[in-house]
Amino acid sequence: MKPLVVIVAVFMCLSCASLPKLDPAGGAFDCPAPFLTEKTRLIHAIEARVAGRVSSVIGVTLADPAERAMSVAIVGTEGLSLFEADSKNGEIAVKRALPPFDQHDFARGMMSDIELIFFAPQPVHRHQGLDEAGCRVCRYAAPKEGFTDVSEVEDGVYRIRRYSPGMALKREVTIRGDRGERFAQIDLQAYERVRYRLIMTLLEAETVSGAATK
Amino acid sequence: MSATNNTGRFRLASRAALFLIMILSAASAAASDHFAELRQNAAAIESIQADFTQKKLMKILSKPLVSEGRFAYAAPDSVRWEYLRPLQSVVLSHRGETRRFLAAGGKMVEDTSGGVKAMSIVLGEVSGWMQGRFEDNPSFTASIHRKQDQTFVILTPATESLGRMMRQIEIVLSRRDATIRSVRLVESADAETVIEFKNVRVNAELPAGLFQDVQ
Repeated sequence: MKPLVVIVAVFMCLSCASLPKLDPAGGAFDCPAPFLTEKTRLIHAIEARVAGRVSSVIGVTLADPAERAMSVAIVGTEGLSLFEADSKNGEIAVKRALPPFDQHDFARGMMSDIELIFFAPQPVHRHQGLDEAGCRVCRYAAPKEGFTDVSEVEDGVYRIRRYSPGMALKREVTIRGDRGERFAQIDLQAYERVRYRLIMTLLEAETVSGAATK
Repeated sequence: MSATNNTGRFRLASRAALFLIMILSAASAAASDHFAELRQNAAAIESIQADFTQKKLMKILSKPLVSEGRFAYAAPDSVRWEYLRPLQSVVLSHRGETRRFLAAGGKMVEDTSGGVKAMSIVLGEVSGWMQGRFEDNPSFTASIHRKQDQTFVILTPATESLGRMMRQIEIVLSRRDATIRSVRLVESADAETVIEFKNVRVNAELPAGLFQDVQ
């Protein structure tokens, strides 16, 4: 039995990317920051790929980076509200959750993904360097979240990688801007026990003034 | 004095209750007549084709989220429910089989998630509405009233669990031909969906394969 466990463990380790070493950049640089700086309402068409199945929904996000607060709604193609929740500083209030969005930990996982995409990391430590492709990377470390690498891989194309405290790759996000819209296309890959991929295409984005908010 | 007053009050209350029962019975009979009339008018419908605009209203949105699509029905139970924008998808229901397709990676792919089963139930309901059958589903209580040239059917969930999902469905029909003009789905105090039908064609010729082919 033991050899089988070792083989499985080795295979699992090989199939997971781990935190890469950063080479010295030869000087300090401005960290890539694709994140929201103002309270913004974003509407995305979301194509979700989970375990070989594809589904599509519309996602509405009202995110306030200053307060680290957000309201989120998932609407089915046919118009039914499937999920609604608010979050502020990690406290989540689910207002509506129809199956399968009522599953345990769905809300926390989804809010964490949205926060990763739109909000700048809150680091305890920050480190700069170059990755294997020579891209400038800012690495943010926090005890709970682990490590978050942010880089600009091409002009207007950003990559965010989240590693666990154990240094295993958990999320990879690619943000592509188009025609002045920073979040025109978002591709999120989740490396969990059940892997999933979200391809988000921007339908609408608007800056929200304080008086117009919820 | 007290006994006389009590007897008088009892008689008054009994008459009021009887009067109320008579009014409710008359209203119920009128409603039954209206539903019967709807079924009778809908019996002449063999097919319907229409375009629709769907407006989703939610507190989180500053303006309605608008979707557009096409709808087709053929008696007794064939339905094509197609969204053209902003997300492209189509649900086909024909001879008891329901399939859902959505645009992914530049092509239409079949949705094999549990959502298809839910859509099968919804389209079964829609087929029933096209035939004027609004009272068939025991999950909803149906009421009817008329205003000018329109008939309003209100479906209210009969169970608390369903009520948490959908508070009310309001269907507006043309009194002329019993075709559905709009559907309002009230999910909560903050969220509702309004679907308005336009370019409604009744009993026009349907393209071949409309309920089987995605394109």
